[in-house]
Amino acid sequence: MTLVLAWSNVRANRTSLAATFVAVLLAVTLVGGSGLVVAGAGTRDELNGVMGLLVLSAVVSGFVSVFVVAGMLSLHVLRQRRTWALLRSVGMTPRQVRRLITAEALVVGVLASAAGCALAVPYAALMSALMRMTGLAPGGIPVGITAVPFVLASVVGVAVTLPAARVAARKAVRVGPLEVLRESAAQRRLLPWPRAVIGVVALAGGGVLLWLIPGLQPKNAAPTALGATMALCVGASALGPVALRMLGLLLGAVAARLDPGAGMLAGSSVVTQPRRAMSAASPVMLTVALACTFLFAVATSDAAAGVTRTGEAAWAAPVLVGSAVVYTVISVLNATAMTMDERADEIRLLRTVGIGPSQLVRMVCWETLIVTTAGTLLGTGIAAASLTALGTALTGEPWFAYSLPQYAGLVAVCAVSGLAGGLVSTRGARRGALLAGSPG
Amino acid sequence: MDDHAVLLEGVTRTYGRGATEVAALRQVSVGFRRGSFTAVMGPSGSGKSTLLQCASGLDRPDAGAVRVAGRDITRFGEKELATLRRDQVGVIFQAFNLVPSLTAWQNVILPSRLAGRRPDPSRVRELLRRVGLAGREGHRPAQLSGGQQQRVAIARALFGRPEVLFADEPTGALDRGTGHEVLALLREAVDAFGQTVVMVTHDPEAATRADRVLFLTDGRIVDVLERPSAEQIGMRLGGRR
Ligand SMILES: Nc1ncnc2c1ncn2[C@@H]1O[C@H](COP(=O)(O)OP(=O)(O)OP(=O)(O)O)[C@@H](O)[C@H]1O
Ligand SMILES: [Mg+2]
Repeated sequence: MTLVLAWSNVRANRTSLAATFVAVLLAVTLVGGSGLVVAGAGTRDELNGVMGLLVLSAVVSGFVSVFVVAGMLSLHVLRQRRTWALLRSVGMTPRQVRRLITAEALVVGVLASAAGCALAVPYAALMSALMRMTGLAPGGIPVGITAVPFVLASVVGVAVTLPAARVAARKAVRVGPLEVLRESAAQRRLLPWPRAVIGVVALAGGGVLLWLIPGLQPKNAAPTALGATMALCVGASALGPVALRMLGLLLGAVAARLDPGAGMLAGSSVVTQPRRAMSAASPVMLTVALACTFLFAVATSDAAAGVTRTGEAAWAAPVLVGSAVVYTVISVLNATAMTMDERADEIRLLRTVGIGPSQLVRMVCWETLIVTTAGTLLGTGIAAASLTALGTALTGEPWFAYSLPQYAGLVAVCAVSGLAGGLVSTRGARRGALLAGSPG
Repeated sequence: MDDHAVLLEGVTRTYGRGATEVAALRQVSVGFRRGSFTAVMGPSGSGKSTLLQCASGLDRPDAGAVRVAGRDITRFGEKELATLRRDQVGVIFQAFNLVPSLTAWQNVILPSRLAGRRPDPSRVRELLRRVGLAGREGHRPAQLSGGQQQRVAIARALFGRPEVLFADEPTGALDRGTGHEVLALLREAVDAFGQTVVMVTHDPEAATRADRVLFLTDGRIVDVLERPSAEQIGMRLGGRR
């Protein structure tokens, strides 16, 4: 019986499950691949010079992997609160529900990790080739098959997936069945205290790092700045719903002004469901914050040391952080698709009261843009803080180097993948039969 | 020739296929006159909701035509259907009527907002008061009871003064007093504003407020009574309720 339920549940939540699977798969590929590259570089003495950068980019990869997988999984589990509540109202025990969730996460984690490990090898080879081309490692990096990276990657795959699922399951089960069935919207507390504590601690930690950076050796300043960005990202993501409600009010008012019907709907959805919106804004924030810190930290260090990179060499830093960015961008798409997919019933309802096809598209776009803009603002703020501290350490002035085209490109890519995710996942609800799946 | 607000011609709707096939509507032909109030009754599963869904353009029949103001809406594209729903046809379902992120007030004015009109605040307030929701304007669906949610949906359907109003058991979840008020509102829509109302109900009392009662069994209209009394309806239903 439990198996039947699990299976029908999997089928009903295909989009969300697929998104989670992809997130874990890519995370394992990324971590395993970066691990292989670092291990390979460790065997060559002449690569000592770039080792620091390689390790740094591997750390960035690991961080985004854990961050994204955990976020995706809790989104996946919380999305199904309605199902869990229903099951419990017909007599399933909280323990059975938790077991179901854990079993599902285990299957996803193991399968995705296995596939990710297989993909890690070609990925490492690709990275090595790119580094040869940009002159970072002119002799290339020998990629051998060593155990440690695979172990590490599988740990990310399974050891992050499982606890994340368990935490989310505990949260999902703690809510009374009635509370959810009544209406999943709006009734949750905006900021439960564990989340608030994590947020404040992480922000404080980031703040301390920022304060320390100006006094550090130039060699240590850049990694510390990256650490500060990571800590601030964790903090902002935990406290994000509060920020998002405010930004949602502000940006929603603008949207409602420009487009009264569709804009109002988009704005009120962000304001009443800031946590859902934050799960989509988080990857955007992460992309912008980490990529900007990494890229412009290298640029600032170069500028402070009087180095100018031209030709292929100018691509060294973008290549190193590129895969992490590609990964977060995919997770922007993923998260938007998941949060929008949840809205199928609402979209059908809107159609029954006469929302037009183009208004519906605009509503989805507005909402995605509000969320992306909020994520971009948060990410930009974090990166700017870390970079200013770094610039102060390197030059004594609160200054940093940046490239407007790179920044604009980054933001544009986030916005486009968010829009793609939103529009694709709502396609069925926007065009299909009106009464599909809604009885009565 | 056409004083019908809505006209169904040989409408057939079949769900499923093969062994699980269910004919919810079989060759139903019926007209709803402009400015009339029709009640639809019949046993559970007889096709009442399906009739409403096909007549209001929410569902497409497998065969037959549905004419609203003379135009066959089964041939409409999404855009034409959207305009139809926001201006000409109002619907009230059995459940899930409201957008969760919008307040009661915002839900009521949504169709006019979508049409780009500026709704009159005093009318919104008045309408919400009449359905017994004064002081609840700023509440979201999650903060309202099932019956209250349905009354918001009724206010929304009435607000745009659509030519045709379809209501699926609008008083099913309400107490007597509120139910009476809702029926009075529907009656007023017909008498004062010339709107056409089609209402599904299981309650003979409620059906007596209509000008005409259709009886549905197994996807067919099996009887029509004009201005029946509660006793006549009760007799017709034959204790099958
Ligand atoms: N989406 C669907 N898929 C398959 N069968 C359906 C679907 N919707 C309705 N039916 C079937 O069509 C028939 C008519 O259903 P309908 O909802 O119109 O009944 P009803 O008269 O409104 O009943 P009630 O009084 O219980 O609301 C029923 O036998 C029902 O099982
Ligand atoms: Mg029904």
